[in-house]
Amino acid sequence: MRLPGGLIDRSRTLRFSFDGRAFTGHPGDTLASALLANDVRLMGRSFKYHRPRGVLAAGPEEPNALVTLGTGARAEPNTRATVVELCDGLAAASQNHVGSLGRDLMAVNDLLSPLFAAGFYYKTFMWPRAFWERLYEPLIRRAAGLGRLSMQPDPDAYDKGFLHCDLLVIGGGAAGLAAALTAARTGARVILADEDMRLGGRLLAESHTLDDLPATDWIDRVERELASLPNLTVLRRTTVWGAFDHGIFGAVERVADHLPDPGGRVRQTLWRITARRAVLAAGAIERHIPFRNNDRPGIMLAGALRAYANRWAACPAGPVAVFTGTDDGHRTALDLMARGVEVAAVIDPRDGARAQGPYRLIPGAVVTDTQGRLGLTRIAVTTAKRTEWIAAATLGVTGGWNPNLNLAAQHRARPVWDAATGCFLPPDGAVPGLTVAGAAAGQGSTHAALRSGAAAAAGALASLGIAAPLPDLPRAEDAPAAASPIWHVPGRGRAWVDFQNDVTVKDIRLAHQENMRSVEHLKRWTTLGMATDQGKTSNVTALAVMAELTGRGIAETGTTMWRPPYTPVPISVLGGGDTGPDFRPRRLTPTHHWAAAQGAVFVEVGAWMRAQYFPRPGETHWRQTVDREVLATRAGVGLCDVTTLGKIDVQGADAGAFLDRLYANPMASLKVGMVRYGLMLREDGHLWDDGTCARLAGDHYVVTTTTAQAGPIYRHMEFARQCLWPELDVQIISTTDAWAQISVAGPQARRLLERVVDGFDLSNAAFPFMACATLTVCGGLRARLFRISFSGELAYELAVPARYGAALMDRLLQAGADLGATPYGTEALGVLRIEKGHAAGNELNGQTTAQMLGMGRMVSARKDAVGAVMSRREGLLAEDRVLVGLQPVDPADPVVAGSHLFTPGRAQDTATDEGWITSACHSPHLGSAIGLGFLACGRDRLGEVVTAANPLEGQQVALRVVPLPFIDPEGGRLRD
Amino acid sequence: MTDLRPVTALGGETPARLQAGGHTLREIGDMGLASLALRQGAAEPAPFGLALPGPGQWQAGAEVAAFWTGPGQWMIERPGRADSDIAAELAPLCPGCSVTEQTDAFACFEIAAADGAAMDRLLARLVNLDPARLRPGSAQRTGFEHLPVFVIRRAGDRVAMLGMRSAAGSLWHALARIVTREAAR
Repeated sequence: MRLPGGLIDRSRTLRFSFDGRAFTGHPGDTLASALLANDVRLMGRSFKYHRPRGVLAAGPEEPNALVTLGTGARAEPNTRATVVELCDGLAAASQNHVGSLGRDLMAVNDLLSPLFAAGFYYKTFMWPRAFWERLYEPLIRRAAGLGRLSMQPDPDAYDKGFLHCDLLVIGGGAAGLAAALTAARTGARVILADEDMRLGGRLLAESHTLDDLPATDWIDRVERELASLPNLTVLRRTTVWGAFDHGIFGAVERVADHLPDPGGRVRQTLWRITARRAVLAAGAIERHIPFRNNDRPGIMLAGALRAYANRWAACPAGPVAVFTGTDDGHRTALDLMARGVEVAAVIDPRDGARAQGPYRLIPGAVVTDTQGRLGLTRIAVTTAKRTEWIAAATLGVTGGWNPNLNLAAQHRARPVWDAATGCFLPPDGAVPGLTVAGAAAGQGSTHAALRSGAAAAAGALASLGIAAPLPDLPRAEDAPAAASPIWHVPGRGRAWVDFQNDVTVKDIRLAHQENMRSVEHLKRWTTLGMATDQGKTSNVTALAVMAELTGRGIAETGTTMWRPPYTPVPISVLGGGDTGPDFRPRRLTPTHHWAAAQGAVFVEVGAWMRAQYFPRPGETHWRQTVDREVLATRAGVGLCDVTTLGKIDVQGADAGAFLDRLYANPMASLKVGMVRYGLMLREDGHLWDDGTCARLAGDHYVVTTTTAQAGPIYRHMEFARQCLWPELDVQIISTTDAWAQISVAGPQARRLLERVVDGFDLSNAAFPFMACATLTVCGGLRARLFRISFSGELAYELAVPARYGAALMDRLLQAGADLGATPYGTEALGVLRIEKGHAAGNELNGQTTAQMLGMGRMVSARKDAVGAVMSRREGLLAEDRVLVGLQPVDPADPVVAGSHLFTPGRAQDTATDEGWITSACHSPHLGSAIGLGFLACGRDRLGEVVTAANPLEGQQVALRVVPLPFIDPEGGRLRD
Repeated sequence: MTDLRPVTALGGETPARLQAGGHTLREIGDMGLASLALRQGAAEPAPFGLALPGPGQWQAGAEVAAFWTGPGQWMIERPGRADSDIAAELAPLCPGCSVTEQTDAFACFEIAAADGAAMDRLLARLVNLDPARLRPGSAQRTGFEHLPVFVIRRAGDRVAMLGMRSAAGSLWHALARIVTREAAR
């Protein structure tokens, strides 16, 4: 029902729907308050037992009233109705039921509840084993659960940003406003973040006055002043959900969630806030008291009931009863009566409790049962003498307040139990730079909250050397905090502790019986405190019950760990908003757009997009294209963009000595104008990377790495330069992107290059295999030429400034048209190198050694280098698997990389495993599939037949062990 | 002079440009760049008469500018000279130093806002650098959309971002989106 007063704008009416029914509300309403105003108490079904549930709380701690907002791709499940700002046209639907919300067929689970006790599935669904995956688990997942995802891509936009401040104030209630005001007046940079649509926090929910005026008057005055201070930023509708290292906080601002039409706005923004100091003023969360059947719609937190009445002028239904362990609940009765709501009784377990107004008080009593299938109708009130049923449609319950200290406990510090106030308090210094104030620090009266907020801000700024005078704060109520005498009402039946996960006092008792003594075990065994509400209304009550069972006391029982995010954060906003091709950055080669225009098919290689092959009209299968590219390269000349290989410029007087220590083989002895193949080892002696090293001058080298290791090798070299050998005079810098590098390979490579170089002698005598030079091409363009070969053909790599890469590629293709010039992609590149027996990433997989590649002698014994000593370990020297060529006995058979090699006829298991196939391709040169593999004693087994086992596809293929390379074993082609 | 035609980092014949409200995003296609690192015992040079800046700083001179990239290391900017052999020009002016051409190692973008305050607001959406401390003349290495970049505040209302040339498309995509959204706010 709608009450008089409140902080809603009655001059405007908003239309919305719930489960298809049309309702109206007002600006300022939440979905929950509007539903209550429309007499809707039933809002959902519980997780496990499908019990009818209504709203419990009035804020972000809500465990029950979870709804799906919106439809289609925008459907957002598990949204708390208590934090949904009502807007015109809002469509909400209840969750977790089969059939209507009122007649949920899955409610049969409630009758079967003895079967579904905590941990039931660990014990119940044990046999037969195969049934778990196909039958039991899908059934359980269907029966239990909350909302369902739309399974469609999120159509909304999200963004992120970075904020920096001297002081971050988290929470805009009494303490937060006082803190922000105190700090902002000094001129310090302050951010005030509050998750509500309106500043004021609990002040908006109470009927208290400040300086004898409504609290909203003071809030308005403070807001006006805050708005006039340019050094203060107010983030409304912003939840700070994580406290990270070095004063960094994660926050989500709901930019457009509350708008009927977001226009061009992003839906939400993820803020990363770096704060020199922070004040946590997140308030407190009310506790309920478990008693039998305490989960019916209409049973709510007493403070929430007060908030709905005072702020939103809404009440579920009358008459109302209040069950309170503290004086706080009496205020609920008074506030409701002030708005004309009938209060049936106030039940207070304290024998000496006194009525604070003209309502019926039942002291020394507890609520022991309730009735009402889809909503509360009656409550049973039991005193030492008797039990009485009282008609009530709404019951407010309070067992005190828990400081909302989660952000202060996210760095592993455990909250401290305070017996006097009956609550856990944030530990001192739990998060460096963060001070806790107000109700979050146990300073729950308005007077204490205001003053502790101001003091916290002044203290935080003082530690930064900024003096902050305390402001004049209004007079306010200062009721002392007191502990509730009871945590739960013992008795028969089920008394819910965690509403969201359907965990009862019985379940906790069972967990205890099963020897789950630690609260962390209790949590995992019962699922208590999990899911979207993270146990905000249940954790402390649960461990108090646990403490009672163990007799250990609450302080010793302790709390579970808090971890970010404490409130639900959409994955979309954490993802930053980019999806599809923009999901992560891509690196494009200098010839990318040229290749795209040629119709190339691209492949992801790390962050790079590389041309995989260049299909031509009439080619219907990628193999046709690749075979053509390979044959054209071996017959004429092929062109391939190899820019992605890492290039590192190494200069300095000690450049040679530096590289001698990094490469397993010598580099200081390399002659100027020459290139050498090099191996780098990891510290443990295994192969890390290979590549070429060119010496352009006595004190100037260019190192190349594989595409995959360009970053790691550069980082390693920088580490070596700065930390391992700072005495060496070496300067390094990456030039990977600076130069476009094109491989020109094939018997016609020299003839083609002669057409583009500016008077440079390419003859074998002047520029032999493994030579390098700086030169100019195409009429004066600076360039670098390396005579190196990955394909086994006469080959060069020509580098020009990246901006000219595409033009050079095009020029080479045109100039070499009569020579058969053909662009080729990574697929043909792979075939060419496998035919030549060259190692690549598949062979350098982190488990292999130089010896396995047949390059053991490249690890120089005459000098030391990273990994050299470890490469001579006994275990590594004993390794007998070496790289061999593999060819199917039946040329029609496939060769599959990853297959393992066995002696034919032997059992196939780990003990008899003799190696594996690293790379495989179809060789157009040989007309069959071929492979490279590591085979035990492979060098002595040439000509032998081995079995390649591919159990994933049930393949057994007979392969002959052949020498490498498959083509041009004498290497004449690349040296001619 | 070569007859090959260069393309910009974004692959166009002319630099890309985007106007959104009071914000302008431009691709700088003709910035010549070279790294400069002191060798052991070398004196700090003053190439083209420019006093090299200290940590976190950018210094502009006549047709040349430099920003600090590490101890004894700078990047030298030569606006309009991307096509020249900038390393060969710079090396003789920096005896005892290692000089490496970096012109095409980077894509360079510049953003202009209506004023310094607008740029401060935009910076909050761009990078995790405190705009209040990134005053004109500052240069920082930081991360942007998972990519390493240099951010230079050339003036209160003008910021340059240099990132890997190969990732120019991704950088532009992110910059354009952020600038457009900020202009619409």
